[in-house]
Amino acid sequence: MFRLQGSKVLAVEMTGDAVKAKNGSMVAYDGQMAFKKLSGGGEGLRGMVTRRLTGEQMTVMEVKGHGTCWFADRASEINLVGLRGDKLYVESSNLLATDAGLRTGTTFTGLRGASQGNGLFTTTVEGHGQAAIMSDGPAVVLRVSPQYPLTVDPGAYIAHQGSLRQSFQSGVTFRTFFGEGGGEAFQIRFEGDGLVYVQPSERNTIAGDV
Amino acid sequence: MALREVNAKMVEATVVPGQRLYSQRGAMLAYKGEVSFTPNIQGGQGGLMSMLGRRVAGEATPLMTVEGSGTVFFGHGGHHVQVITLTGDTLYVEADRLLAFEGTLQQGTMFMGSQGGVMGMVRGQVTGQGLFTTTLKGHGAVAVMAHGGVFEIPVTPQRPVHVDPQAYVAHHGDVRNKLSSALGWREMVGRGSGEAFQLELSGNGMVYVQASEEKL
Repeated sequence: MFRLQGSKVLAVEMTGDAVKAKNGSMVAYDGQMAFKKLSGGGEGLRGMVTRRLTGEQMTVMEVKGHGTCWFADRASEINLVGLRGDKLYVESSNLLATDAGLRTGTTFTGLRGASQGNGLFTTTVEGHGQAAIMSDGPAVVLRVSPQYPLTVDPGAYIAHQGSLRQSFQSGVTFRTFFGEGGGEAFQIRFEGDGLVYVQPSERNTIAGDV
Repeated sequence: MALREVNAKMVEATVVPGQRLYSQRGAMLAYKGEVSFTPNIQGGQGGLMSMLGRRVAGEATPLMTVEGSGTVFFGHGGHHVQVITLTGDTLYVEADRLLAFEGTLQQGTMFMGSQGGVMGMVRGQVTGQGLFTTTLKGHGAVAVMAHGGVFEIPVTPQRPVHVDPQAYVAHHGDVRNKLSSALGWREMVGRGSGEAFQLELSGNGMVYVQASEEKL
C-alpha cells in the first residue's frame, strides 16, 4: 500500500508482498526487508536487451518483506498514480516505485522524445496497482478531453496516462533563426482522453534554447 | 522554547538577556532588537580541552555565540530545517548539520568506537560521519539541517528501524545503533541493490531521516 509522507517521502506498507523501486532509493525501513537487484528492470532477458538498446536503462530493485519501507530520491517531489488497467507513460528517470503486479516495458516515442532531451524511448507501466513518479517541484495533473486538447513544454512533461494521441508542434518561425525566438520553439500536443503530469521546472532541451 | 520554525527552511530564535544561543557562523539571515554575534573560536562550549577535543575529532564547525535581546532568523544554503526539542536526553548529530542550538544544552563529542567498538568505527567510515560525532544533552531546542526535509521514525524495542546511512540525519533517546550489512554474492559481482549497508537502530527513541541520499 503506497502512502505519501510529506511530499518527498513514499511510505510503503508491506505484508509479505513485493514492490519494484529505483535502485538505492530506500531511506529507512522497519520490520524485515530483503533487497534484490532486478537486472533489466525485471522484464526478463528480452526486456534487458531492449532497455540497453533503447537507452531506457533503469536499475530496479525488488523489495520484499513485512513492515514499512520509506523511499525517497534526491528530495524530489513524489506523485502517486493509480492504474486500473490503463497504461502510464513515464521517463525511466522519473519512475520511483511500482507495485510488483504492474508490468513495465519500453515504447518508441518518436520525435517527441528527442525534443525532451530524453531519447527516443520511454517507459510504460501497465496493469492494476499503484506507481510513484518523481518530479522536480510539485507536479500538476492536467486532464485532457476530446474538446480540450493540451499543449505542453517538452522539458516540463513528466508522464501521461489514458488514451492520448500525441503530436509534435513547432513554433519555429524566421525569428527563431535570428535568435529572436521566445524559447518555446517546440511543444507536445495531447489529444484524446487522459491525464498529463507536468512539473514546474524545465529540463534542458533543444527546444528551450531556441 | 527559543527556537521556532518560520517555514521549512528558516527558524526564528528568541534571545533574552542571560541566555545564550549558539549557531553556525554566517547562518544569521536577519535580526530584530539588540543582538550581538561573537565568533566562537572554541567552536562551542567547554574550555580549552573541549576545543582541542573537537579539533582532533574533526567535529569543529565554526560557531558563533548569539547574545542580547531580540529575535534572530537563521537559515543556511536553502536546506530544510527541523527543530528538535530535547527533554533531558541526548541527541547525536553531525556537527556540520547543526544550524543553531540553545546554550542550555551540553555539547560533547563522542567516539564512534565507544558504541560498538571496531564495528562502530567502521560504521563511521561507511556513513561518512568520520570517527566522531557531536552530542547535545539536556533541556532545550536544536535546529538541524537536512537536504529535502526530515521525517521522524519512532524506535521502540519491538520495532527496530533500519536507515540508509546516507539518509540518516540524527537520533535521540536510548538508542543503540550498529551497522548491518547485507553483503552477498550479488554485491561482489556488481549486481547490488544499492542497499548493502544499513544502520540498524534499536532501543527506545526517535530517528530523523532526510528525503534524500545527499550529504550537505
